[in-house]
Amino acid sequence: MNTISDNDLILYFYRDGLDAARIGEIDDALFASPDLRARYTRLQQMLHAVDGEPAPEPDAQFSVRVWQRLDAQIAAMQRSQPSTGRRARLLELLHSLLVPRAAFAAACMLLLAISVGFYAGRTTAPQPGEIAQTRANAMATRVLDAYVAEHLRATEGLLLTAANSDDAGLVGNRDLAASLVDSNRLYAQAATRSGNTRLADFLRQLEPVLLELANQSPDTSVQSIDGLRDYLKKTDLLFQVRATQARIDAAGKHST
Amino acid sequence: MPGRRSQANRIRSTRIQDVMATDEVRWVAEARRGDRNAFRLLVEAYSRALFALCMRITRDSTMAEDAVQEAFFNAYRHLGDFDGRSSFKTWLHRIAVNAALEQLRRNGKHGVTVSDAGADDDGEDFLASRPDEAPTPDRHALGGEIGRQIEDQLARMSTLERTAFVMRHHEGQSLETIAETLSLNISASKQAIFRAVRKLRGALEPLR
Repeated sequence: MNTISDNDLILYFYRDGLDAARIGEIDDALFASPDLRARYTRLQQMLHAVDGEPAPEPDAQFSVRVWQRLDAQIAAMQRSQPSTGRRARLLELLHSLLVPRAAFAAACMLLLAISVGFYAGRTTAPQPGEIAQTRANAMATRVLDAYVAEHLRATEGLLLTAANSDDAGLVGNRDLAASLVDSNRLYAQAATRSGNTRLADFLRQLEPVLLELANQSPDTSVQSIDGLRDYLKKTDLLFQVRATQARIDAAGKHST
Repeated sequence: MPGRRSQANRIRSTRIQDVMATDEVRWVAEARRGDRNAFRLLVEAYSRALFALCMRITRDSTMAEDAVQEAFFNAYRHLGDFDGRSSFKTWLHRIAVNAALEQLRRNGKHGVTVSDAGADDDGEDFLASRPDEAPTPDRHALGGEIGRQIEDQLARMSTLERTAFVMRHHEGQSLETIAETLSLNISASKQAIFRAVRKLRGALEPLR
């Protein structure tokens, strides 16, 4: 009675899914049974015929093309992370934006610093008080602007990824989006406190989109994701982010 | 002489693999530190093999190319998660399998393809029913026809069967890895491979 099935022979062929004792049994049976040997030979012929088929080959420029697209994707992703340039050294704390709790802490510290700056300008200014107040306000505004510009750069990268990447890309940026939501709220508060209502209003406008991106999950429906992408494409939010960022950068250059 | 040549080829091939492995470890380490050029070298080293894998699963060159693209991007983003327990190639190929399946899903082609499942899934032995016939010159001449038949049979497989078969047969992945990659248990992975092999028998039978 033959107890070795074709499925056993398939596993035997791949030497996978069988324990050593079973392999030994099949070895012995193959030695003893010409019929089993014939069956196994047929299986080998069949599977070797598959090996005889040439592997699918892409065109000659394939690797170059893949790298070019990939390089652009990586660059876009890196733009969504804080830069490490000269100006960014001032913003070292904000580099922790990728770590939600640290980002929140950084934004809290900034809010505190700005509050103290304004308070100090109002209460401890030496004679003449108005000049000290103005200097303190200007310093606080410059610090806020620098942080917000960096925040907007990160936001721009996130929105670009959301508009262009796959669903997995959206889900992969959840933590970044969540950290930006926290920071965004604090910068909006800081902007209100410093009297920059235009910036505060714009940051509040960003919040729903950041929240939506922070809440993406692998289960999020395609319709919902497509809706978000349509919203980004139809509105000029991305343009506004860039414009605000450019305005802040330009103001920073004028004031230094 | 042929034996000596084949031994020399084996030694050369082993040396090439050793050099590749050393380079791979260095490139992966450098890429993890943010060196994009190192990652470019990994892309150059593996993109064509990844294309073959994705093409075998998707059976569509556009989807295969998009899957390779996505696989590399996902690999870059998750380089920090690569723990070195498997080789980088194995890790990358697993990502590519999922990227290929994602492409099929997105294009609405993830379902079971035309199948006479009743005949293929009966679990009965099929090898004994085929005539015992050694390859002949005539059959070698029919190589192109056999290739076409194999293609047809691969197309008849469900995505799951084809992916499990490609991973086991072409990629040499273990049942355990296949199960993990496809979110199946080992038994279901085996069954998918059994069904795939049963369907392949149809590629050769009409030519005998």
